[in-house]
Formats: sequence, C-alpha cells, structure tokens
Amino acid sequence: MEGLMQPILNGILLGGLYAVIAIGMSTIFGIVKLVNLAHGDLMILSGYLSLVLITWLGISPIVSLLLVVPVMFFVGVFVQGVLLNRVLGKEMEPPLLVAFGLSIIVQNFLLLVFTPDARSLMTDLAVKTIPLGATLNLPVLYLADFLIGVVVIFAVYLFFRNTYLGRAIRAASDDEVGARIMGVNTKLIYAYAMGIAMMTAAVAGVLVGMTFTFYPHTGPQYLIIAFGVVIIGGLGSMKGCLVGGLILALAQLLGAHFTGPGYQLLFGYAVLLIVLGVRPQGLFGKI
Amino acid sequence: MENKTRKYRWTVLGLLFVAFATVPIWGSDYLLLFCLLYCLYLGMAQMWNLLVGYSGLLSLGQQAFIGFSGYSVAVLTNYYGVYIWLSVFLGGLFSVLLALFMSLFIFRMKGIYFAIGTWIFAEMLLLWFSNWPYVKYGTGLFIKPAHPPSMTAIYYAAFIMGAGALAVVYTILRSRIGLGLMAMRDDEEVSETMGVEIFRSKLFCFLVAAFVTGLTAGVLYVFQIFIQPYKAFAIDWTVVLVFIVIIGGIGTIEGPIVGAFLYVLFSQYLAEYAHISLLLLGIIAITIILVAPKGIMGTLQEKTGFVILSPRRILADQ
Repeated sequence: MEGLMQPILNGILLGGLYAVIAIGMSTIFGIVKLVNLAHGDLMILSGYLSLVLITWLGISPIVSLLLVVPVMFFVGVFVQGVLLNRVLGKEMEPPLLVAFGLSIIVQNFLLLVFTPDARSLMTDLAVKTIPLGATLNLPVLYLADFLIGVVVIFAVYLFFRNTYLGRAIRAASDDEVGARIMGVNTKLIYAYAMGIAMMTAAVAGVLVGMTFTFYPHTGPQYLIIAFGVVIIGGLGSMKGCLVGGLILALAQLLGAHFTGPGYQLLFGYAVLLIVLGVRPQGLFGKI
Repeated sequence: MENKTRKYRWTVLGLLFVAFATVPIWGSDYLLLFCLLYCLYLGMAQMWNLLVGYSGLLSLGQQAFIGFSGYSVAVLTNYYGVYIWLSVFLGGLFSVLLALFMSLFIFRMKGIYFAIGTWIFAEMLLLWFSNWPYVKYGTGLFIKPAHPPSMTAIYYAAFIMGAGALAVVYTILRSRIGLGLMAMRDDEEVSETMGVEIFRSKLFCFLVAAFVTGLTAGVLYVFQIFIQPYKAFAIDWTVVLVFIVIIGGIGTIEGPIVGAFLYVLFSQYLAEYAHISLLLLGIIAITIILVAPKGIMGTLQEKTGFVILSPRRILADQ
C-alpha cells in the first residue's frame, strides 16, 4: 500500500496536465462539432515554438508562453478560418480528413525542420521535489503542471460564462441559424473559438515539453490522450475534462506501477475503450 | 447505345486484365515492381473505400489489420514452418477474428467515435507488439520461409489481391447489400425504416475489408521480408489510403484505381525523401478536399458521366 501512494499522487497531478491537453479539443468538439485530429500536433508545434524562443532569447519556458500563446491564437484562427470553415457541413468526413491532412503536414514539417531527435524544454523545476514523508515525494514540476492546468480550465470556464465573445460562441454553438439572425458571424466565431482552443493547446504543449521529451511524431499520442479525457469526462463539460484527466492519468500510472512502464499507455487506452463501450456519452456528458 | 458502350468498357477492362496478368512475361523488373505495389495498394484502398465511401465506416485503423496479418505470416512461417501462402491465408483469417473482436467495442460507437476507436485499437496493438518478447519487441522479425517464393509468384499473389479486391467490391455493391448500403449512405434513418439491415451490412463490410486488407498485407510482407511494429501498425498506412481514395474519388470504384496509380508513381519519385513525400501527400489531399471534394474520378463522373464500373442498375433496358 505504501508504494501505491506515489503513483496515485503523480496520477492526480498528471491528471491536471491531461485536462489542459484535452480542454481545447473538448471546446472545439462542443462548439464546432468537429474533432480536431491535428490537436496533438498543433500542441507539439507550440512545444517547438517555445524551444526556438528559449534557445534564441534565453528565457524560461514559462516566460515563452507570453509569445507562444498569442502566436497559437492566430494559428488557430487561420486553421479554422481558411481551412476547416470551408468544409463544415452535413457530412463529417471532409473536415475530419482536412484535420487529418493538417496533422500529417505539421508532423512532417516539424520533422523536416527539427529532425527526429528527442527534445525537451529545460527548466530548473524538473529536478526539484518536496518530501511529504519517508517514501513520498511531491515533484514540483508535476505540481506546476497541475496548478497551471486548473488555472487554464477555470479561465476558459470564466471566459465562456462572462465575456461577450464567450457568450456569442456558445450562442453560435447552441443555435447556429438563430445566432446568425441575431447578427453573429458564426464562421468568424468558430475561427475565434479555434484560436482560443489553440491558446490552451499552447499552454499544454509547453507544459508537456517541460515534463516529458517530445518528437515531431508525438502529436497523435497526445491527441489520443485528449480524446480519452473528452470521452471519459463527457463532451463539452469542463468538470468532465478535469475528472476525465484524473481517471486517465491514474489508470496509466497505476497500470505502469503493476506491469512496468512499457504498458503504461495500454492501460489508458483500455480504460478508454471500456468507457466507450459502456457509457459512450462519458461520465458527465448529456446524451 | 448504352449496350455498346458497356461492351466497349468490358473490352478495355479485359485488355487491362490481360496486360496486368502478363507483366512478368513482357515487363522489365522495374515495371513488375511498380505493378506489384500498384496491385497491393489498390487492394487495400478498395477496401478502405468500401468502408468509408460506401458503408459510412470511417476507419483510421486499417493498420491494425495490416500489422496483425503481417505478424501472423511472420510468426507462422518462422516459428511453425507453415507453408508461406497458407500462412498468408491464415493471416487474412486472423484479421477477420481481430475485426470481430474489435466490433464488440467499436460497433457501439458512431461516426467520429468509431474513427478514433479503430485508431486506438491499432495503437494498442502497436504498444502490445513492441512490448512482446515473443515477437522480439520493437526490433521486428524477418520472414524466412523454407522455400522463398519467386518474384513472379509474389507478383501473381499481389495481382490476385488487386483484381480480387476490385471484383469483391463490385460484387458487393451490385448485390442486395450494396443497394442497401447506398440507400443508407443517402439517408440512414429512412433506409432503416425501409428494411435495410444497417448493422449487419456494416459489420459484413467491416469483416470483408479486414479479410482482404489482411491478405493483401500478408502478400506485402512476403515481398518485404521484414516486419517491425512501428512500421506495421503506423498511422502512415491510413494516410496513404486516405490519399489514394480522396485523390481518386471517394465513393467511386474507379477512384482507388486512379488514386493508387498516382500514389505509387508519386512515392517512387520521392522514395528518397520520405517525410517530404508525406508532407506533399498531406498538402495535395487537403487541396483536393477543398477544391474538388469528389476527387478526380468523382468530378469526372459528375461533369461527363464517365464511368467504367458502375454499381448502379439500369432499370429499363433500351
């Protein structure tokens, strides 16, 4: 039992990070009814962007967010406004395939520019831990991931609840025709929504880059994590995002604790498939 | 008039068939290789088209069957000394079993959930095989049959897969199931009310696609001799199938025929620059979806009514 405390603690903290990874995808899923298959890759793109900034300017990854987040906002507006908005319609395949194509483009572009080497965003937080007992340690980096994750999710929640743009986005999502009649430019609104989703992806990308190593091909792995969180927690639910993140991270770390790290991801996927089979709308989703 | 053009079409198809069947006699080694790859990609792409273009099953996990069948071939020939073509056949059967098992989970999902579900299955297999001592982890296996088949034999196997996949898709679409599938594609709810057995038709197509994809992949790995989990279960397979079907024309039988040709041509030219070629594939695919969403053959059909193999029935004989 003693040995279980560490993976449980790490799982909870990692759950916060998983929630930020997923929040952007969940938002777009809920508002534009679109699964952004390039979400993971655009997240990793932010990681590389931050890498370039910290090498050029010698700043810390957290400070680089000041630049990476606005840049990713415009990337998101561009992706939605120029590519995805043009194929939105009755059928679900075209937007999905465009996003898939985008994912391939981003991956191979990164491969071309940055080579397949493993990268990470160096911080001095990485080695610090706070001892909580004889065998239990609190990794500071994981704690930072968790806290930043919770802050981001709360900020997104407040944005959608309290700002004009946030309410307009929700209105466009609830009743597209109605919103258009009331003078809302829904296509533009979707572009802003993607911009905001990409801002969260930027934070997620930098946190992931600080916590783990990443390669040009790491994107799909995080896409599946994001998707898992969204599925477990339920569509478009902020609370679901946090709980889904916790469950997925705990399943992975406890799985790894019992069987070795090679199978860590396998446990996450298995939990995901079970939830999909048993309760497809997720724990907090409406049918 | 209609009858004449139809006869003409069958003559062209017959000539093409004979030309492909005799490549080992008159073609150069390079042409043989080209036709071999063409037939294999055609087989897999026809199956993906059957799923996505006709059955409404957007699968992003065909690599699950490709890798599973490839590994079946490797394990059966290496560890059990099974005759190479028998192990290819068994690989196809194992793919069907895998598809049956997957269907327990993913047939409860719809649309995008289905797409991601298939992908997750493929990722799970990738993780499983790369951690499995029995298949030597991620280092992969060489496929060493006691009597390695000749290039000509492999070519004919590939040819059977390419032509066979075409025939299978055509037969299914001309059958009662195909009629139901196309009704379903137009309006799922109405067609169900009219008595189309949606679930069974979809499952049938999923299993057929798994079988043919598995067989084709088996032949591919007999040709490639080496299998490794990171390549066999890679999402790159789906990228290629998406490209072939989208560029050729989704939901047309001719689409993959044209798309596979363009893809093999393209990949031969860019063989040395693997990631640039994927980058370009992505850009071309997106451009096609935005500009001509029906692909080359779909757009051609719409503009000129040109069809080679139509699953449509003509009601009244002229």
